[in-house]
Amino acid sequence: MHTRIPPQAYIDQEWFERERDLLFKPLWQFIAPTTLLDKPNAFVTRTLFGMPIVVQNMKGELRAFENVCPHRQNPIQLQPHGVRPLFCGYHGWSFGQDGAPVNIPFEDTIYRFTPQEKECLHLRRFALEVVGKLVFINLSSQPLPIEEQFGADYLAYLASASEAFDSEVIMTTYDARFNWKLVYENLRDANHARYVHSRTLYQETRFQPVINEDNLALLRRMERAGDITERGQALAILRSFSTGGRDAPLEQAPVNSWHPLVERFRDRDGEHHDEYYNWLPFPNMHIASANGGYSFTIEHHIPVSPGRTEMIVYYMTAKKKRPYAASAAVLHATMMGADKVLREDIDVMEDIQRTLHPAACHASLGEYESENAIIHHWYMNLMEGKFVL
Amino acid sequence: MSCKFVVGSGPALDWAMGAWREAAPELELVPLAMTSIADAAEVEALLAGRELAGATAFVTFDALHLNFARLERMGAFRMHGLRMPPLVCRGAIVSDSAKIAENSYVGPGAIVGQGCKVGYNSVIGAGARIGHGSSIGNSCWIEDGVVVGRAVRIGAHVTLGGGVVVANDIEIGKLCVVDKPGRVDADIAAKTFIQSSHANPMVIVGD
Repeated sequence: MHTRIPPQAYIDQEWFERERDLLFKPLWQFIAPTTLLDKPNAFVTRTLFGMPIVVQNMKGELRAFENVCPHRQNPIQLQPHGVRPLFCGYHGWSFGQDGAPVNIPFEDTIYRFTPQEKECLHLRRFALEVVGKLVFINLSSQPLPIEEQFGADYLAYLASASEAFDSEVIMTTYDARFNWKLVYENLRDANHARYVHSRTLYQETRFQPVINEDNLALLRRMERAGDITERGQALAILRSFSTGGRDAPLEQAPVNSWHPLVERFRDRDGEHHDEYYNWLPFPNMHIASANGGYSFTIEHHIPVSPGRTEMIVYYMTAKKKRPYAASAAVLHATMMGADKVLREDIDVMEDIQRTLHPAACHASLGEYESENAIIHHWYMNLMEGKFVL
Repeated sequence: MSCKFVVGSGPALDWAMGAWREAAPELELVPLAMTSIADAAEVEALLAGRELAGATAFVTFDALHLNFARLERMGAFRMHGLRMPPLVCRGAIVSDSAKIAENSYVGPGAIVGQGCKVGYNSVIGAGARIGHGSSIGNSCWIEDGVVVGRAVRIGAHVTLGGGVVVANDIEIGKLCVVDKPGRVDADIAAKTFIQSSHANPMVIVGD
């Protein structure tokens, strides 16, 4: 079957801007793990579709604001993360929990704002939800309840899995040259591992593509029924895109010298499993545990432009039973190992991106890719304005 | 004749034997080839039946696991009460006022300036220069030819790779890797990894 998504969706700036407005702006987006925000005045900054965002710990509460001082549009926090009050270094303005300025030096003598003017000086604030140890924000002025995007059960699973995360995390950013959609498509394609990761990941986990007959039947029903036009139906289908849990058995039980030092993740049945875990919160997040719950990777795929995606990668072990001296060495070594697999994926997606042009053929999907085909059907209806989120 | 156990694996062991032979020809050198990083049973087996009184040891290993692998080996032998004097190779210039701690190594042609402190289990590679008043923490690895300026403070378990130049008065926190050739002009926070393999640094947050 041919995908409904045209090549323009991967290369066209105007399309990218419609994605921002129709898909990303209404949806909840991952912003950071709570580990980066657990101290008073801890903050993270990210740029989402050109919008500078700061999430700041304000006296124990997390708040999301546009990271722009209302005075002269200077970014308030300059680093990607850190611990610093919400204070603009340009003219010394500082801001409180609601985003209003709490101190404007020399306000009465040189600014002389009227009360009406001062009312407008708030930082723009965004909705924020904490799911276990994961922080999500929503850029819409009327955000949909986060349960409507992911489903309450899925959120509970994400929360319980993330509670296993340790508080020490290593992170880095990859500047990848491909469209963000290639990542979610790749992550939902179990057939690539045996080729792309033949010498790495596939040696440890033999991912097998399967034809999901239920998905296939759903796809056929969707195609027969025509366009999705009803928002409730669109949200129900959207919720089915975020999947997760045990994915494939490991070839060998995981053994590493540091494993006894951490509290291995127990799945919802209360048991350990020698399996590869994959959680895929739609649209642009991936959580994995390649060793049955001894450690976790979070990937956050931030669209930058049609052909560029910023991939922020976090890696942490399961909770340490007690601090140990070499924990940083464990994180560093494992991140370097994970880098090989990640670069294999990045290389193939960058190769794909290079082939795309306006007259390129649509991709041809096999029946094992029905999950991607369903997403494509839904996505095209959204982009064509058949429904709004 | 004093006995020194020289502990290592493969070419690194051969190299350490040669370096000690040049630096201290009066010593009786006993090579101990290890297969594990620091398996206690293997260490016991290597030392079984040997006279330890008055003996010394030197342990070599690369910078694996932020130099913790070498530290584990060192610890395994130190636990047997063996002293581990540093190895200062022939051709190294070490100021009389510099202090080099146990199981550290200063390679041929390296210069360690006045008042410098080099912690235990650290490596100052051949031809490296450590400016006066600088301190190198425990279990560091300073690659051949690296230049460390004056009054630089380098924390424990730091690796500086080839081609790195650290400006004067800089502080590099513990558990860092700088393995991208170039000049370090600003302090580097602990647990930061700047490597040629990655366009952006890796950093560890939290504990």
